[in-house]
Amino acid sequence: MYNEVYEITLRSLYISSFATALALTWSIPISIKIATMKSDIRDAIISMFNALFALPTVLVGLLLYMLLSRSGPLGSLGLLYTPQAIIIGQAVLITPLLVSLMYEIFIKALSDYWELAMSLGATKGQAYMLIVREVLNDLLSSSLIGFGRAIGELGVALTIGGNIKGYTRVLTTAIALEVEKGEFEVAMILGGLLFVVILSIVLSVRVIRGRFK
Amino acid sequence: MIELRNVWFSYVDNRYVLKDINISFERGVTVIMGPNGSGKTTLLKVASCIYRPTKGEVIIDNTPYWRLSEQRRLEYRRKIVYLHEKPILLKGRVEENIAYGLTIRGYDKREASKKVHEIARYLNIVNLLNKRASDLSIGEKQLVALARALVIDPEYLFLDEPLSHLHMSKRERIIELIRSMKNKIVVIVTHDIFLTLTIANKVVVLDEGRIIQIGNPQHILKKKIIK
Repeated sequence: MYNEVYEITLRSLYISSFATALALTWSIPISIKIATMKSDIRDAIISMFNALFALPTVLVGLLLYMLLSRSGPLGSLGLLYTPQAIIIGQAVLITPLLVSLMYEIFIKALSDYWELAMSLGATKGQAYMLIVREVLNDLLSSSLIGFGRAIGELGVALTIGGNIKGYTRVLTTAIALEVEKGEFEVAMILGGLLFVVILSIVLSVRVIRGRFK
Repeated sequence: MIELRNVWFSYVDNRYVLKDINISFERGVTVIMGPNGSGKTTLLKVASCIYRPTKGEVIIDNTPYWRLSEQRRLEYRRKIVYLHEKPILLKGRVEENIAYGLTIRGYDKREASKKVHEIARYLNIVNLLNKRASDLSIGEKQLVALARALVIDPEYLFLDEPLSHLHMSKRERIIELIRSMKNKIVVIVTHDIFLTLTIANKVVVLDEGRIIQIGNPQHILKKKIIK
């Protein structure tokens, strides 16, 4: 049993890490783009992203299921019930959260550090470097929050991952299954592990924020 | 000389914060005064080439700045420094903060450190150099930001409320320092009438984005009192 728990934990970690990395590739440019827009358009778009991160995960899972199922527009890719599907699903799920968090970081950075760099005679490249340096730990904290959301979600992993033993079973889907079977002891162990992972993330965020002042 | 010709500026479409500004800043100290929201800070940012005017021209030494290539603009920008009202410091130590403008100009570490220590000694902040910027009080942050601006030895210096967070003992030293810059172009936004009377060669009064008075400090303040 412990081998299986170990394997599920590792799978959860790598799936959610990849999902977070994938989400970052588009969330960072999207949030920079929104932060540089005119204020009225910017407010409307960011309100939409704020609303999106309250979407139930199972609804996101359902929409992705329709896209990835054999008869769906992306059915030919054969991604349904694979770890890759969960990675894509979690990445989509955490995008609104990451965009909202990173937008706040970039809007402040652009008004403060961009102007500061320009006012001290920096080139555009040097100004961008300065912004990246100043916001790096904030971006890292946001990424960890996104990762926490990804690893703790159930709806997407269950709907498009399928909870296949040894292949797409992750901590949350394993907990749900054990509860259904009445194996509360195993479910509690898995729940404890998930809690430890999330607690480590919260502590890491605190350490990062405190250290790089 | 920096000249603003028919400058209009808006943050949001058609809501102008600056309206048809025509002014030139010559050597010496110019003070910009006016009520809150009259456009003083925006004027300072447009004149220091941080903001591009919505309409009109910013002319530096007879050259229209915004028509230049990025490379030429950089040459001019490196002669100008704008100091924010709210001091913005970078993460890391105070010494690195003060050296930032020198580092991006290609100064080597030893040369930069020498200049940083010189200005720190002048402003009496040598004891802060090894501290983390985030641990400073607001007054100390303002001094560090001022040191970072002055260490570059700019030709044009734009200061937004430079004394607002400073203790009286420090204010006198800064006033003395600004006075000694009569051969540079110094433009200051302030509400401080004492500072204006002490150091201004010229006073500009703004209201609702328009210049309503320009003159020497005694003339302007007398007129204001009579009004």
